[in-house]
Formats: sequence, structure tokens, C-alpha cells
Amino acid sequence: MALASTATLLRRAFASAAAAHGGHEGGARTWKILTFVVALPGVGVCMANAWLKMQHGSHDPPEFISYPHLRIRTKPFPWGDGNHSLFHNSHTNPLPTGYEGPHH
Amino acid sequence: RQAHAYHMVDPSPWPLTGATAALLLTSGLAVWFHYHSTTLMTLGLILMLLTMYQWWRDIVREGTYMGHHTPPVQKGLRYGMILFITSEVFFFLGFFWAFFHSSLAPTPELGGCWPPTGITPLDPFEVPLLNTAVLLASGVTVTWAHHSLMEGQRKEAIQSLALTILLGCYFTTLQAMEYYEAPFNCAE
Repeated sequence: MALASTATLLRRAFASAAAAHGGHEGGARTWKILTFVVALPGVGVCMANAWLKMQHGSHDPPEFISYPHLRIRTKPFPWGDGNHSLFHNSHTNPLPTGYEGPHH
Repeated sequence: RQAHAYHMVDPSPWPLTGATAALLLTSGLAVWFHYHSTTLMTLGLILMLLTMYQWWRDIVREGTYMGHHTPPVQKGLRYGMILFITSEVFFFLGFFWAFFHSSLAPTPELGGCWPPTGITPLDPFEVPLLNTAVLLASGVTVTWAHHSLMEGQRKEAIQSLALTILLGCYFTTLQAMEYYEAPFNCAE
């Protein structure tokens, strides 16, 4: 959240700077430069960061405890067997009765 | 000939088809949930897509070839955008309210703690941070597209818009992956 507003503030500063001196010719060029020097490299850095964190974060899913406030089924889902959520992942999402099959 | 600069819109069937689509979609959703038939909902979806395509095609024709988007009309369109963005702000305000309502005073049903017992939250500095960067980047590229358009640079406008859409697709893909990998879902 803080990151988003700081970046927005920075963007606004850039925009008003461009408007002040670039006028109508410099506008597109300024934002093109920002795209390839700030925005896309920023995405690249975050991609690298996410990739590195994901690699050494893989561990087994937590053991199954049948809490009543989780895996609620007051009504079956309108698809499949009615017991699997839309983005069901048998490795990380246990059913109300526990993980499906031999989970690793 | 009119003695004013406003747009007197020609009679159009799209508001009616749009409203009908909304009715079919909502009732179709209810029918799907309770009677396991997707017919009504599918009809609503098709009608909605047809309405979107034809209504917006007409607006493009009215605003360009037919010259109806005079400065006062454009001012009205800008007001419309401001109103929409404001409604979007309130939409998110609702989500934040709900989150703080539940998390600042966690109920005993959740284990009296936050995150609730049995919920392993996602690391916000992994994919969520990447997605933030992607969205911000798409804001930069779309601003580039805007300025290219205003300066009459067709090739750059197309390139920057394509980049914006690509970033949007990347964001959606990452979100779908997050939804799949998450240890919790909407039934928690």
C-alpha cells in the first residue's frame, strides 16, 4: 500500500515536470523513457525477487485439522461433484474430510 | 438543425438489450446455483457481449465520423468517468471496511486471532508485490499511449497500448496462478 502511493506520488511528480517543460511534444517521449527505464525494469526486479523467494519457500502443506470455520459446505458448489472449489489444488487444498489421496 | 452543442442521441436498442442481458445474467446465475442449468446465464452472456460490441461501435461512429462529441459533450463524458472512478473508490472502501471489521476484532469462531487459526497467509512481498509493479507499469505504458495518441503518433500509440494489454494479461495470469496455489479458498 505504501509502495503504491509512493510510486503514484513519484509518477505525479514526473507528469507535472513533463507538462511544465516538455509541453505537447515531449509528453509521449517522456513516458516512453519512463516505461523502459523505470516501469519495465521495476517489473523485472520484482519478477526476479518473486522467483528467488518461491524457490526456497517450497515446503509441505500444513497438516490437516478439521476446523469447523474452514472448508465450509453449507451448499454444494454448482460444478463438478460440488465439493471442490473453483481453483482447487489437491496439493494445497484439503477437502472437508482431508487431503485427497496420498499427498506429498 | 439544432441550436445547441449537445448530442441528441438517435433511438437505439442497446440500452434495452443491455438491461435484458443483466436480467438474464442475474436470474441465470440463480438458476445455475439452484437448478443446475446454465442456459439462461449463457444467453445473458451472449446478449451482453453483443450489446457491448454494438453499443460501443455506435459510440465510436457518433464521436468520430458523425462529429457529435463537441467540447461540452466531452466535458459530460469526463464527468461520467469521474463518477465511475468515484464509485470504484467506494467499492474498494467496502472491501477495506470488511477486512478491518473482521481482522481488528477477530471472533472466537476464528480462534480469536488474526490470521484465523488454520489460515496460512500469502507472502505479500512475493507475487502480490510483482503484481503491484505490473499494474503500476501498465499505468506508465497507458500514459505513454495517451500522449502518443494526443501527438498523432499512430505506431507508438499502438505499441504502448499493446504493451499495456500484455501487462494486463500477465497480471491476470499471475492472479490465476495465485488462486490455484493458495492453501485457502472462498469456502474458508
